[in-house]
Amino acid sequence: MGLLEKIESLLGGRKKDFNILVIGLDNSGKSTILNNLKTKDTKVATINPTVGFNQEKINFQSVNFNFFDMSGQSRYRSLWEHYYKESNAIIFVIDSSDRMRFVVSNEELADVVNHAEIKNKDIPLLILANKKDVKGAASENEIKNELEINRIKGRNCKVYSTNGLSGEGINEALEWLASEMKNLA
Amino acid sequence: MLGKKDSKKDDESGGSNPFKNLEKASVLQETRTFNETPINAKKCCLILTKILYMINQGEHLAPTEATQAFFAMTKLFQCKDVMLRRMLYLCIKEMANIANDVIIVTSSLTKDMTGKEDIYRGPAIRALCRITDNTMLQSIERYMKQAIVDKSRSVSSAALVSSLHLMKQGPEVVKRWVNEVSEAVNSDNVMVQYHALGLLYQIKKNDKLAITKLVSKFSKSSLRSPYAYCFLIRVAAHQLEEEKDGFDKTLFDFIESCLRHKSDMVIYEAASAIVSLKCTTSKELVSAVGVLQLLCSSPKPSLRYAAVKTLNKISITHPAAVTACNIDLENLITDQNRSIATLAITTLLKTGNESGVDRLMKQIASFMSEISDEFKIVVVDAIQSLCLKFPRKHNVMMSFLASMLREDGGFEYKKAIVNTIIAIIEENPEAKESGLSHLCEFIEDCDFLPLATRVLHLLGREGPRTTTPAKYIRYIYNRVILESAEVRAAAVSALAKFGASSDDLLPSILVLLNRSKLDEDDEVRDRATFFYDILSQNDKALSSAYILNTLNVSPVSLERALLQYNQSVTEKPFDIKVVPTIEVTESHKPSAETSLPKTVKPTDKPAASRQDLYSEQLSAIPEFAHLGPLFKSSAPVDLTEPETEYSVKCVKHTFTNYIVFQFDCLNTLNDQLLEKVVVKMDTADGYEIISYKTCPKLPYNTPGVAYTLVKIPEDPSQVVATFGCNLKFVVKDCDPNTGEPDNEEGYQDEYGLENVEVTVSDHVQKVLKPNFGASWEEVGAENELEDTYALSMPSLEEAIKNIIQFMGLQPCERTERPPEGKNTHVLLMAGIYRGGHDVLVRAKLAYNDGGVAMQLTIRSSDSIVPQVIAQAVG
Repeated sequence: MGLLEKIESLLGGRKKDFNILVIGLDNSGKSTILNNLKTKDTKVATINPTVGFNQEKINFQSVNFNFFDMSGQSRYRSLWEHYYKESNAIIFVIDSSDRMRFVVSNEELADVVNHAEIKNKDIPLLILANKKDVKGAASENEIKNELEINRIKGRNCKVYSTNGLSGEGINEALEWLASEMKNLA
Repeated sequence: MLGKKDSKKDDESGGSNPFKNLEKASVLQETRTFNETPINAKKCCLILTKILYMINQGEHLAPTEATQAFFAMTKLFQCKDVMLRRMLYLCIKEMANIANDVIIVTSSLTKDMTGKEDIYRGPAIRALCRITDNTMLQSIERYMKQAIVDKSRSVSSAALVSSLHLMKQGPEVVKRWVNEVSEAVNSDNVMVQYHALGLLYQIKKNDKLAITKLVSKFSKSSLRSPYAYCFLIRVAAHQLEEEKDGFDKTLFDFIESCLRHKSDMVIYEAASAIVSLKCTTSKELVSAVGVLQLLCSSPKPSLRYAAVKTLNKISITHPAAVTACNIDLENLITDQNRSIATLAITTLLKTGNESGVDRLMKQIASFMSEISDEFKIVVVDAIQSLCLKFPRKHNVMMSFLASMLREDGGFEYKKAIVNTIIAIIEENPEAKESGLSHLCEFIEDCDFLPLATRVLHLLGREGPRTTTPAKYIRYIYNRVILESAEVRAAAVSALAKFGASSDDLLPSILVLLNRSKLDEDDEVRDRATFFYDILSQNDKALSSAYILNTLNVSPVSLERALLQYNQSVTEKPFDIKVVPTIEVTESHKPSAETSLPKTVKPTDKPAASRQDLYSEQLSAIPEFAHLGPLFKSSAPVDLTEPETEYSVKCVKHTFTNYIVFQFDCLNTLNDQLLEKVVVKMDTADGYEIISYKTCPKLPYNTPGVAYTLVKIPEDPSQVVATFGCNLKFVVKDCDPNTGEPDNEEGYQDEYGLENVEVTVSDHVQKVLKPNFGASWEEVGAENELEDTYALSMPSLEEAIKNIIQFMGLQPCERTERPPEGKNTHVLLMAGIYRGGHDVLVRAKLAYNDGGVAMQLTIRSSDSIVPQVIAQAVG
C-alpha cells in the first residue's frame, strides 16, 4: 500500500468496496458484460457458461466494485440467495432478444425482490436489457412492461439497454450505479 | 540462568494446544468475518485453521451450518493473499462432502487452475476434483485434459493423481483422457511419469491383454523414473499371480532383468517381487536372494532394513534359500539399528537349528529394552513358532517370555506374550506347570484387565488338573483382595472351579467364597453366593452342570429368546433348550470374555453367528413360524457341478420335529428368466414331505431361495435318509441386455440335481465340555451303550478324523490330536441331540497293522439317542 493510498484509507470513504450481485438467466450476457469492463490484459477471449460464480474486482470512476457474477443456469439459481445478505446492489441482466423467456425473467426477478433478505433492504436495482444490437430485440419500454418495473416500490431502480460485446450503454449504467453507491456511502 | 528458565517455559507452552478449547458455535460465528471488506487475510487464515482442526477432530457439522460457512468462505476468493488462498483450497477439500452446493466454487477454481500463478494451479486442481461429482465431470473435462499435459510438473502430477481419485466415481469420463495420459507417461519428470503410469494402469486395469501389452511396451522403452519401474514390477508380479494356467515368460524375464537396474529401489522391488511370487522356482529364487544378500551389507540402513525384512517374511516359505544368507544375517545381529538387528535374529531363529537357539536368545535379550513394542511382538511371534518347532527348548523360551512379561510394555505386546505362553501350554503338556506359574506371577502386577481376567479363566480351567492345585489358589485369592470388580469376579469363578474339582480343597474354597459374599460389587457378590450354594450341596452333577461345564448358548440368541419370552404371556418357565447352542469355533483359544460378560463394552455387541442369521431369516417366513426353535444349520453343500447352467447349494436346517431344506439357486444364463423355481424331493426313508416354497423369479445372476419342508419320522431310531432332488421351473427366454422376457409364455423344464443326504450329524449339535469327566459322571450310566468295532483305517489320525465327521460331535479336552508314536488313544466327544438331550461319547482306539479297533461307549440323557449315534459308525 502506497503512502497516498494509506492516507486515503485512513480518511475513509473512497476505498470501500461495494459488493454487487450480478444475476439473470443463463446466456443473458452477465460474464460478457463484466469481461468488457476489464482492462485489456485481463480480458478473456472466450466466455464459457459460468459454473457456480465468478468474482471480479473492478474500479470504475474511483469506485471499487466487487462483482459476484452468478451462474444463471436454472439448477444454480437457488445459489443466488447465499449472497443477498452482503450485497450493496443488484444488477439483473436480461437478454432482450429472448422474448420466449421474458416470463421466466419476470418470475426470477419477482422472487429476488420479494426475498426476505432483499425485501426490506434499501439497495438499488440496475436492470440491463442486454443484446440490444440483436435484430428483433425488445426496446427499453417493452422490457419495463415485461418485467413489470412499476411493481417495484421503495427502491431506486433503473433500466438501461446495453450491448455486452461492444460495451455500448454499459458506462451510462455503471455511472448511475456509482452515483447511487456514493450516495449510500 | 534466566535464558534457561525462558526456554523451559517455551517448552511447556509448546506442549499445550491452542485449539484445545474450540467451540463449534463460536468458530462458525467467526466465519462472518469472511464477509467483511477489505479482507483481513491473517485473521481469516486463523479461522480457516480452526475449521480444519475441528473437522479433523471429528466434530460433526450439520449440512446447513457447513453450507453457510462454505458460502462465507467463497468470498475469500477476492483476496490475493497466497497463504489465505492455499488455506482456502484445503478447507474446500475438507468441506466438499459436508456442505451442500459446493460446486459454487467451480468457476473460481477453474480460473485458478488455468491462471498464471503456478503456485495456485496444482492445489486448485485437487480442490476442483474433490467438489466435482459425476454429473459435473464433463464440464471440467476440457480443463483436466489440458492440465494433464501441462508443462509444469506440479500441475501435471496434480491432474493425474486427481484423475486417479475421479476414477472411482466416473471411470467412463476419465477413460476418455487416455491419450493425454499416455503423453504424460513420456514426461521427463520422474514423478509425472510415475503418476501417469499409475493412472494408465487404472484405466486399463480390467483389460488383461492391454495390461500385458502395457508392461511389455514400457519394459522395452526404458523409463526414466525408478518409481515408475517399481510400479511396473508390481503390475507384472500381480499379473503373474493372476494367471492360473501358464506362466508368462516375458513378464518374469522383465522382473528378472530389473535385478540389474542401476537404482537400488528398483533392484529391491524386483527381488521382493520374485521371492513373494507363488510360482517362483528355487532356481529363480537364487538370483533374487543373492540381490537381497548384497543389500544386507549396504551402507544405507533403509536398504538393509528392507532386505532383512523381506528375508524374514519368506523364512517360513523358503527356509533353504534364506539359510544361504545366514552369514550376512549374523553380521546384522549387531547392527546399530535395532529394528534391523531384531529382524535378523528372528529370521535366524526361524530358520536356524536347535543348537543355535540359546546363543541367539542371549543376543536378543541384550537389547530387548531398546526396541519398540512393535518389534518386540515380532520377537514373540518368532519364539512361538520356535516353540512349536523345538518343543524341548520350552524351558529357555518360557523363562525368556517370563522376563519379557516382567518388563514394561503396552497392551498389544503383553497380549502377544500371554497368547504365546497359552499356545505353548496347550501344545506342550510338559510346559504347562512352568507356564502357569509364570502367568500367576504376571497377574500379581498386571495393569491390563482383559489379560488378568483371561489368565484367571485359564487358571480355573487348567489349575485343578495340575499336580499341586493348591498353590494356585493363593495367587487367585490375592486378586480377590486386591483388584477391581471385573478381576474379582473372574477370580471368584476360578476359585469355584477348584472347589468343584477337588474334594480336598472344597472346605477351604468354601471359606474363601464365603468372604466374597460380602463384596461391594453386585456381580462378585452374586457369583460368590451362587457358587457357594452349589458347592455346599456337594453334588457332583450340579457342580458339573453349573461350574465346570457352563452354558453353551450364543449370547445373541439368548437375548432374543429372553425378549420373546418376556413379551409373551405365559405361565410356563423359560426353557433354556430353545436357545441354539453356540457353534464351536475351530480355534481352541480360550476367550477371556466368556468368563466375564461385564467387561464387554455395550457398543461392541457380540456378532450374531451364522446360525442366528438363518434363524432370523426362517422365522420371518410364515410357513416355518410354527416349527419352533432352530436346532442346527448345516454347512452349504453343492448339488451341482461347478460352472453349470444353474448352481444350487443346499443348507439343512434341523428343527425338533422337522427339517427345512434351503436351496440357494443361481441362474448363470443371461438369456433366460426362470420362474416358479422349486426343488422337488422324494425319499423312501420314512420322511414325509410337507410343503414346498417356490422362488417366484430367478433372473440372471441374482441369487434366489427355494425351501422344502419335511417331517422327521415318528420312529426315533430312524434318522438317516437320502433324498432325490429335481429342480423344476418355468423358462422364459429373454433379452440378455435388459433381462425383459421376449414373450409371456414360458415352458416347463427340469434339471437333475445330486442327492441330499441327511446323516446323524445333522441331528447333533457340537458342544464343548471343558471338563469332560465331570459331565460323564453327571449323565451317568443309565442309558449307556457299549460296542466294539473294527475300522479299516490306515492310521489313528485318519480314524479320529472320520469318527468326528460322521458323528458330528465336538472333541473335548484336545483329544482329537493323538500323541505321536503311540498306538492307543482315547477320544472324548460331546454334543446335544435334537430335542435337547446331552450326548457324550468315549471311543477307545487301538491301532494294529492295517486297522483300528474301537471300543465305543455312549452315554445320553435319552434312551434312544445312543443307538442312533452308534448307527453313524455302523
